[in-house]
Amino acid sequence: MKAPDSHQRTNEAFSAYLEGELPREEQAQVEEHLASCMQCRVSLERFRKTVGGLGALKRTAPVSFLENVQAQINRRSRGRFFSKRGLLFGRIPFEWISLAMIVAMLVYYIVLLRTSPTGVVPGK
Amino acid sequence: MSISERLLLGRLVKRDEEAFNEVVRSYGDRVYNLVLRLVGSPSEAEDIAQEVFVTVFKSIESYRGEAKLSTWILRIAANHSKNRIKYLARRRTSGQELRDGTDATEMADEGNAPVQAHFDAPDVVLEAAETERIMQAAIAKLDEEQRLLVVLRDVEELSYDEIVEITGLPEGTVKSRLHRARMALKDMLEGKLK
Repeated sequence: MKAPDSHQRTNEAFSAYLEGELPREEQAQVEEHLASCMQCRVSLERFRKTVGGLGALKRTAPVSFLENVQAQINRRSRGRFFSKRGLLFGRIPFEWISLAMIVAMLVYYIVLLRTSPTGVVPGK
Repeated sequence: MSISERLLLGRLVKRDEEAFNEVVRSYGDRVYNLVLRLVGSPSEAEDIAQEVFVTVFKSIESYRGEAKLSTWILRIAANHSKNRIKYLARRRTSGQELRDGTDATEMADEGNAPVQAHFDAPDVVLEAAETERIMQAAIAKLDEEQRLLVVLRDVEELSYDEIVEITGLPEGTVKSRLHRARMALKDMLEGKLK
């Protein structure tokens, strides 16, 4: 029969044993004990399962988390926390601004043609 | 501190909104999960996690870069969680109801499944939810310090160096207390996990 303190010593070494942090001599002692002790082998297996199971406890933040944090900061600072940016640039993508300007110029050109007092269409 | 972290820090100090969004996107899930495992209640966890980022942004100028940005943020999260746990315990002992009727095992009692589990078959989802419920209930029974060590090491999978920075405990103390916490969990979970 094994001495009770050898079971205890082995159990106390489980973390270091599984993380590969035991000095070679102690690792050999643990393995020697495990080889002949079913009780400690079962205990080690349950220990391994417990620690492994913890790694699966992952949850992501709620989808609206970023918006909620922004809202908190803006509410508490009354919108003065973040540095100011230009009215348009930085908030609206550049491509959208370019497209809007091209459309605006086209509209202006068409309106100008229609209201031309001479009725002369450029290019004709 | 890496170059990208230094650049990000520069933008944060200038209160660049997009830089702050980047920080929330990068660390939001880790902070939320850490807090959730420590306090046990999803509604409390979201509230605390938001507070963590408000604190991060308010005190970004005091961050000197001695620790990694992630470690600094997780330390703030751990401190906020500890304060909330104490506050909730005081409310509980004074006989008041907890907000939304939650306590440290609310999530466990609700039996919510982990996010990824929603893509799996119903029986897998149920099993994952049940395992999570059992494990969370066991974590909630650990004392505050053991809970933090188990969550940092085994749930968040941080290195011992990072845990030492977050907790301020010597590495040897971290390892011995973590081992005791793991053994306590193993005993609590005996016969409960498939």
